[in-house]
Order: sequence, then C-alpha cells, then structure tokens
Amino acid sequence: MTDLPRNQHIVASGIIAAVGVTVAYISFTQEPADAFIFPRLISSVFAVLAIWTFGKAILGRTKVGNGISGEAMRNMLPGLIVMVVYIFWAAKGLGFYTATTIAFFIMLSLYDPAPHNALKTWAKRIAITAGFMLVMYGLFAQLLNVFTPREVFF
Amino acid sequence: MKKWIAGAAMALAAMTGSAYAEGHGDYPERPIMLMVSYGAGGATDFQARIVTMTAGNEDALGMPIAIVNRPGAGGRVGWNWFATEADNDGYTLGAYNIPHFIAQSIEGGVSYSTDDFEPIANWGADPAVFVVGADSDFNSMADVVDYAKANPGGLTFSGAGLFVGHHIAALQLEKAAGVELAYIPNNAGGAGAMRAVIAGEVLGGVNNLSDAFRAQAAGNVKILGVFDLERNAFLPDVPTMMEQGYDIDNASVNFRGVMVPKGTPQAVIDHLAAVVPTMFENGRVQSRMEAGGSPMHVMTRDEVLEMWAARQETLEELLAGL
Amino acid sequence: MDFLFYMGDVFTPINFGLLLLGTVGGLILGATPGLSPTMAVALLIPFTFQLEPQQGLILLGAAYTSTVAGGAVSAILLKIPGAPANIATTLDGHTMAAKGEGAKALQLSFLASAVGGLFGVFLLIFLTPVLAQWALAFGPSHLFWLAILGVTVIGTLDSSSVVKGLLSGCIGLWLATIGFDDIMGAQRFIFHPAVSGGINVIPALIGLFAIPQVITMLTKGRTRSGAEVITVKRHPIRLAFVEVIRRKTALTIGTITGSIIGLIPGVGGQIAGLVAYDQSKKFSKESEKFGTGHSEGVIAAESANNAMVGPSLVPLLTLSIPGSPTAAVLLGGLLIHGIFPGPDLFMNYPQVAWTFIDSMLIGQILMCIFGLYIAGLAASVARVPHAVMAAIVLGLAVFGSYSVQNSMGDVYVMASLGLGMYFLERFGFSAAPLVLGLILGPIAEANFIQGSMIANATVGQATYFFTGWLNWFLILIVLASVSYSIWMEIAQRRYTTKDDAVAKEEALS
Repeated sequence: MTDLPRNQHIVASGIIAAVGVTVAYISFTQEPADAFIFPRLISSVFAVLAIWTFGKAILGRTKVGNGISGEAMRNMLPGLIVMVVYIFWAAKGLGFYTATTIAFFIMLSLYDPAPHNALKTWAKRIAITAGFMLVMYGLFAQLLNVFTPREVFF
Repeated sequence: MKKWIAGAAMALAAMTGSAYAEGHGDYPERPIMLMVSYGAGGATDFQARIVTMTAGNEDALGMPIAIVNRPGAGGRVGWNWFATEADNDGYTLGAYNIPHFIAQSIEGGVSYSTDDFEPIANWGADPAVFVVGADSDFNSMADVVDYAKANPGGLTFSGAGLFVGHHIAALQLEKAAGVELAYIPNNAGGAGAMRAVIAGEVLGGVNNLSDAFRAQAAGNVKILGVFDLERNAFLPDVPTMMEQGYDIDNASVNFRGVMVPKGTPQAVIDHLAAVVPTMFENGRVQSRMEAGGSPMHVMTRDEVLEMWAARQETLEELLAGL
Repeated sequence: MDFLFYMGDVFTPINFGLLLLGTVGGLILGATPGLSPTMAVALLIPFTFQLEPQQGLILLGAAYTSTVAGGAVSAILLKIPGAPANIATTLDGHTMAAKGEGAKALQLSFLASAVGGLFGVFLLIFLTPVLAQWALAFGPSHLFWLAILGVTVIGTLDSSSVVKGLLSGCIGLWLATIGFDDIMGAQRFIFHPAVSGGINVIPALIGLFAIPQVITMLTKGRTRSGAEVITVKRHPIRLAFVEVIRRKTALTIGTITGSIIGLIPGVGGQIAGLVAYDQSKKFSKESEKFGTGHSEGVIAAESANNAMVGPSLVPLLTLSIPGSPTAAVLLGGLLIHGIFPGPDLFMNYPQVAWTFIDSMLIGQILMCIFGLYIAGLAASVARVPHAVMAAIVLGLAVFGSYSVQNSMGDVYVMASLGLGMYFLERFGFSAAPLVLGLILGPIAEANFIQGSMIANATVGQATYFFTGWLNWFLILIVLASVSYSIWMEIAQRRYTTKDDAVAKEEALS
C-alpha cells in the first residue's frame, strides 16, 4: 500500500472520529435526558468504533478501501462542480426544469468523448437533453402532478 | 455558449419573477398543495384526500389539490415546516389538527403557535373514545377507574402520541377521576395504538371515534366512553364521560381543517374562506365521508378562529398543571 | 376454495384492463426513484373514487404488487433502489449488470418475485386466521429484539471489514435520530434547517446509492477506453428458469423470510429483502461469492420482498389494523366505498374481497410476464455511454427526492449524503449497512421506549424484555448471528476490498 491512500485514510477516518466524538459529546450534554437515551447509546458505540478505525489508519493497518487517485480526482472535479452548483443553487434559483436542462447539457458536453468540433456531436447532445427533459416533464409535471420550483420558463 | 445560456436564463428569471409577484385575480392558476402532517393512510390523510377530491370542479377552486405528507413526531415535523418554510402565496395549504398543534405549541420546543397560521375552514370533528380489548374485564369507565385506584400508575393505556388529542383526553381523565395512569404514546399513530389494545399489550386505550367504531364493528374492542359533550350519532349507545360522572368537556375532540401560513395575501384567504366550506358541503364528499365512518363538522373561517381561541385558553389551563 | 369461485371476475374486460393498467403503471412508477410503493398507491387513490369498489381495489392491488417488483429495475440497472425493499437487490444485481449480465439479473429478479409473490398470496388465502394471531404476537419488546437482530446483520452486510460495516451502521443509526424524536417530540441534532424534519429514508436512499454512482462514472473522465461500453450478454428466459429452480436454497429462504417478516406490523417490507439476503448468504455453500454478482443474492432479495406483499395485508383484512403504510393506504381505498375490513369482510363482501385477492395472484403472473419482456429491452441501459448515464441519474435523483415531500431540503440532504458516501465508499465503508441503520434506528428506539414505559408501569424492564418464548427465540437468533459474524471475521479475515473481490470473480469466470 502506497503512502497516498494511507494519508487519505488518516484524514478520512480522522474526520469520522471527530464527528463521532462530537455526536457523543452533544448526546451526553443535551437536555432533556429522556430523549437522548438512545442517541447516547449509539453515539458511544459510534465514537469507540470511529476512534478504533482512526487508530488503525494511523498505524497504517487499514486493510480495505482504495482511496482516491489523483487522476480520478482531476476527472471528477469539473462534474462535481456542476453537480454542486446545480443542486445547491441552480435547482431552486433558476427553477428545476431550466436548471436541469443546463446542468444536463453541460455534464454531457464535459464527459462525452465525441469530438467537440463536429456539428453532429452538438446536435446529438441537444437531442438527448431535449429527450430527457421531455420524459421528466411528462412523468413528474403531467403524470404525478409534482410542483417543482419554477423561476424561469416552467 | 454556456455563458450565453446562463445570462439569458438570469434575464428571464428577473422578468418572470416580477410578473409572478403581481395580482391574484386569477387565483388559483395552478394546482394547489395540501400538506398533511401525518402519514399516508392515517385518518387525517384519508379524510383530507376525500374532502379535497372535488377541488378541481368549476364550482369549487377549479384546480386540483395535491396531498403531500410530512409525517413525524405527532405532527410537529409538518407544522414546523409549514410555519417556517412553506410559501405563503396561497398555493401551499396545510391541514390542522386541534388540539394537537395548540397543545404542542404550549408545551414548547416547536416554532409555531396559533399566531403563525390562518384558518380557512373546518371539515371534521372526531371525538376521542376509551377502548378496551373485546375480552377485557372492564365494562364501564367505573371499572377502569377502580382498577387504577387499586394499582396507581399501573393502568397502561395507549394513544397516538404526546400532546395530541388522545393525550389531552388522558390528562383530563386523570384529573377528573383523581387517579394516576400510565399513558403509553405509540409512534405508529392511532393505528399502532389500536393494535396495542387489540393485541393485549396494554389494558386499554384512547383512540379516534372513527377508528374505534370500525374496530368495534370488527368485534375487536369495546368502547366504554366518549370524550365529548354529547353522545355521537355513530355510537348512540356509548355514554359520554360526563354521564359516567367524570367532569370532562370536549377539549380533546380532534378538529380537522384547512389553513394557510401567516402572510398569505388577504385576497387569497378571502377567496379560499368563501369557496372551501362549500367544497366540503358537496354531496359526493359528504357521502364518501359517511361511508368511511368519518364524522363531518363544517365550520367557516370565523367559527374556526373562535374555536382556536377557546381551545388555546382551555389547553393553557389544563397543561399549566403539568 | 372460494378464491377459485370468484376467479372469473378477474377476467371481465374492465377488471382485466385495470389489472393490466395497474401492473404496467406500477412497474414504471416502481422503477422511478423516489416513488415508494406507498406513494404510488396513494397517488392512485383519487382514480379509484370513480370506480366500483372491486375495480378500485384491483387497480390498487396490482399497483402494490408491481411497484415492489418494479423497484428492482432501477436497483439493478442504475444501482438506485426504487424503495427500501430493493436495497438488497443492488448488492448483487447491479454488480451483475456491471458485468453485462443485466438481462439475466432482471429475469431472475422477476421470476423470483413471482415465486415469492404467489407464495405470499397463497398464505393470505389459506392461513389468514392463523397468521392474524401471529401478527398480534409481536409487541414492543419483540419488535425491539427484531430491530437489534437487524443491527447484527449490519456488520457482515456488503462490507469487507466488520468494523467499518458496524461503523457505517452507527452513522445510519445516528442520522436516524436527527430531527424530532418520535415519542417525546424533543429536537435533536438539528444543525441545519434542511434536517429540521429529520432525514427522510427515501431521499437518503437515493442519495446514498445514486450520487456515488454518478461520481464513479465521472472519475472515468472523457475517455472512450476500456470498460466504458459494456456488451450486454443475451440471456434466454429458459436458462433463467433453470437458474431460479437450481438455486432452491436462496429461493426458499427468501420466500419464507419475506413471508414471516411481511407479517410483522411496522417492520415489513423495508427489511425483508436485506434479512433474506443475509440469511441466504449464511446458508449458502458459495457465501464468498455474495456481493460479486451472484445470482443467489438477487433471487433471495427479490423473492423476499414480493413474498411480503400478501402477508402484509393479513392484519388489515382480518383485524382492520393496517400493518404497513401501504396497507394503511389500501384501507383508505376500502373505506371510501363504505367497506370496513375485518373478520366479516369475506362474508359481507365476498365478491370484493376474493376478487381483490385473485387479482393479486393474476397480477403476480402478469407482472412476471411484463417484467421478462422489459428485461430484454432494459438491459440495453448498460450500453448507454457513461456521460449520458451520469447526467440522467443525477437528474432523476434530484427530481425523485424532491417529489417525495415537495421539499428542497430533501434534495440538499440527498446530495450531501451522496457526496459524503462517495468518499466513505472509497475508504471501505458501504451504503447498505448505513441505510439499514437509518431504517432500524427509529424502530429500535420507539419500541425500546414504549416497552420501557409499559414495563415500568407493570412488571419491570428485566421481566418485560427477557421473558416469554418469543423474546428468547429472538435473543437466541441475535446471539447466533453475532457469533457467526465474529467467527467469520476470525476464520477468514478478508484482506481484499470489494473492488478486488469483484475483479477476482471476473478473472475466474
């Protein structure tokens, strides 16, 4: 096992251990105590297991989990940014259908291996986006009567 | 390309956004949502689906009402959301249950009170009843109270949760009969509480009249008393608590109706307050409700406002002793 | 044999048409992420207002049956379980699809569903009075032990490290406590308004499974290379029949576990699949193959979650108590026509009751036929390029989680859990135990508190939780399950990751 996953394991299990300890601390200090019996129970187990895992990671004895390679990180980053902007801002800010159309199209264009300079590629991408949006609109807006946030168009 | 789309989208957002904010002349121009703070299939959900089924008719709202369930913690999850996050544009309605949300707001720990909601109309009133298993030794409330006197705190009985109508009824019974009881709130609502009675996990239970009526018809339970001022048309043979010598009024009767969040435009409230009661009076709605064993009680906005204020006072008094 | 007498009613043109409509519609709704069977049935209720009672129930019954099975389609092809019932199906089903055996996995799942489903409905027909007593036998103490039994499964479920499996489970149990506590109504761990109503299982499910899937596709970048386009192996239906029959153990365990768990009020369909999966893994001769695209995993999970459909209606039809949320919605469908379920139901309304049950029998068969047909078409989903797939799954996840409660908060929860889960998965944690914790947490807690309250008022906690044969029976299974996990951990320490296991399996085949 190389050093990269080992360091990653230390960071990851460290974060989990921190969450576990925080949860346990909150459980044991919050009132009313009656409502926190169960959280106290599970958070104790949670914290112990999380610290155990953290210890194993520091000693370099973690056996499972491949970590994330630099290449994978670089590949996913643009998509991840689109995803986060889409879900945490655009969906509500622009309206579901507008935001989804834009995010879908960008995602497709970013990861579709077809050459960017051919007109045919773009036509295909637009067609796929339109087709998907039609299905979503038919299913959710027409059939299921779900009212999604609509800021622009529909 | 991307920038261009985003720019155009932003421009359009600005334009349509402002258009939306004006006038309510055409209200409603799209389907309306009704939030129910209990799970699909519960008594409130079931009745809400029936009373709103004619909303799409031209003589009613002209637009369908879609039910959205937000269950959890005896209704607190739904009402908290309704008070703090629901849009007050008239397209988000909520179902209320009295005394539940008032009792919860007095008890604290939630972000709503009667001041955060504007009632529209009331559709039903479902009194609480005391039930025991079909093979129970108890045959009247006197038997129950005698047992409780002999075993202080040992009479287990189920209800749908803490600070809901059933719990209020339980508190009233404790106070009126001067006994200590063991009220066991059930996390699966009225249906779960009823199951506990039938399975013999508890000695008795407080439950909705409509559900108890069905369970009695199925031969699973006996109904010993009604927590209301008068006997109910569905159960003419079951005496009220008052008749059995316990000074208990109708504070626990579960009133169900429709409300909107504070801040909804007055024009929309007026429109809804005029139309919704007539929707409840619809013949098809009435016959379906009757078939389902759900007692109806239509009240207008003004009547509901009065009822809310009265309940607020009674409950504050009752819960102050805790 | 009353049910044979009324069988003819199912085949009148209108009834049969509704049955077809309910089955096909149910398969589509079930395959849509975010639409659990309960929601799908609730959505159909307004349509039944216009219908005769019998017809309305046929529609609802058919939809219930086929949404449960339809959830397997998205579980297998997209690794998004349509409902909690289908979580276990993803474990082997999606791995099979990733290996190009999507068609086979779907065929197996529909055949197993039909076998389990038919068995469950026959139980409903023949053993209802006996089963009704059984359904009442489970009180708070038993449900508590049952939930604990579920927790013991966590450690060995889909994770190559028991400690990390348990830790995932703990995270799930903790997430379940966020929001209002169900009985006291106290607020717990509300660190952001989006979680003020607690974490809803369906959006969490979508996020935990779908988002890591999307990110994994993204990590492949803009390449054409390698495993991007999977060739879908054709799989004759005949072979699927042979396979299902050959895997008797998994089929039997799945069907029986599903039937028993379906009967228990409140726990029902959500964990039937997972428990059956775990049990057949423990009894299988090839237990090490589970999780690597093994057909037994799919068969056990899917036969279990459809076997639970019939028994889950027992408490409703005999005692008038809905045993599951879906049964509660069906109760509404009966009540609006003035029909009160109960012991007299079969005497007062034999035509309605028996036609309903018969239509569920025929519905299982129709569901299987349509399912096998879909299997042929849908398996080509695996051929969709990953760029398109990632975008589609992302869009579906957002719409699906929003539509559960029309809530933006649920979408944020879905995305945050999903992003977190991707990183956790890279470090050896897995989503299935986490979701199991999320589902079991409230059941364990509520029943523990209720049980304690009853115990304190009566016999005392020790007596209440530790006496009675059913309590002891459950405690013994819990102990057996724990010892088995410990033994497994010591006897064959697994040094491999799940990815390695899958790779090894591929090399062997």
